[in-house]
Amino acid sequence: MSRWRWSVSALVLVSASAVASPTQDYVLNCMGCHGATAEGVPGKVPPLAHTLLQFMRSPAGRSYVLRVPGASNSRLSDVQLAAVLNWIAGNFGSVTLAVSTPPFTAQEVAATRHTPMASLRATRREVLKELAASGPAPSEDY
Amino acid sequence: MHRLDRIFEQSSRSLAQRTSRRSFVAVLGQILTGSLLLPLLPIDRVSRAAAASLEPDAAPPPPAHKSPATAAHQAGSDDPQSCDYWKYCAIDGFLCSCCGGSSHSCPPGTAMSAVAWIGTCHNPGDGRDYIVTYNDCCGKTSCGNCGCNRNERERPLYRLLRNNDINWCVANADSNYHCTVSVILGLAEKDQK
Repeated sequence: MSRWRWSVSALVLVSASAVASPTQDYVLNCMGCHGATAEGVPGKVPPLAHTLLQFMRSPAGRSYVLRVPGASNSRLSDVQLAAVLNWIAGNFGSVTLAVSTPPFTAQEVAATRHTPMASLRATRREVLKELAASGPAPSEDY
Repeated sequence: MHRLDRIFEQSSRSLAQRTSRRSFVAVLGQILTGSLLLPLLPIDRVSRAAAASLEPDAAPPPPAHKSPATAAHQAGSDDPQSCDYWKYCAIDGFLCSCCGGSSHSCPPGTAMSAVAWIGTCHNPGDGRDYIVTYNDCCGKTSCGNCGCNRNERERPLYRLLRNNDINWCVANADSNYHCTVSVILGLAEKDQK
């Protein structure tokens, strides 16, 4: 098992004593829109499967993910939000990318999620351009 | 005629001599009291609830009335056509079970919404919390039967994902709202406040 997977498991264990599992947090807070397999709805709801890990590759991408309304406004605590994002990346992402991508931490979530975005679309456009220049990235119509 | 009167007089006197008016009143009182207490006896509705959750797609007859929000919510009805059914704890819309579908399947001619609101409901039958997804059925105009508005653990509109006033048909090709179903996904790990 990779170091990344160990750290995700540790995060899950730490949080499990106080809160529901990331699986249940995903079901109750994300699945309604993003779907059971995190594929989203084409043209309506962006997918998380595979693409979340791509965003997690760069600081701008990580910041974008933590500031989108579904994440920043969710009722999940910083610990829960970090755990559920890492759970999504681990369950609906590429194993190769997962090994080299650091997981989210509660500290990173707390420091980022409450900084509003002036324009979600403009920020997303810039992030996608940056990701595309450095490797695999979500499509432009994401 | 005189003879007829005499026959009736004799039979009336004979009946009065053989029966007691007090005992008649006592028996009548027992019957009335018993018939009033009968509906108060406990009835096991669990088997009916289980059958209701497995109901076929056949269209049930629409009820003649809408169930109002009452204290019966706590008791948790097992009727799929009642707003008090425990798994409708946060439903806002028309029950598909009154619109040609069932409590968990859309009526013919409609499609289940691609996005949904997911929450938990407490089943008083077994004392457990279940994860429930509320999907709208889309593609026809509003059904109009069995309108329910229960808001347990619902949040204001700025908490979009916890608000049940949303038309969840918004992500479907045809966004006309028809009715709402409630599908049980499984047991909740812990109560979600």
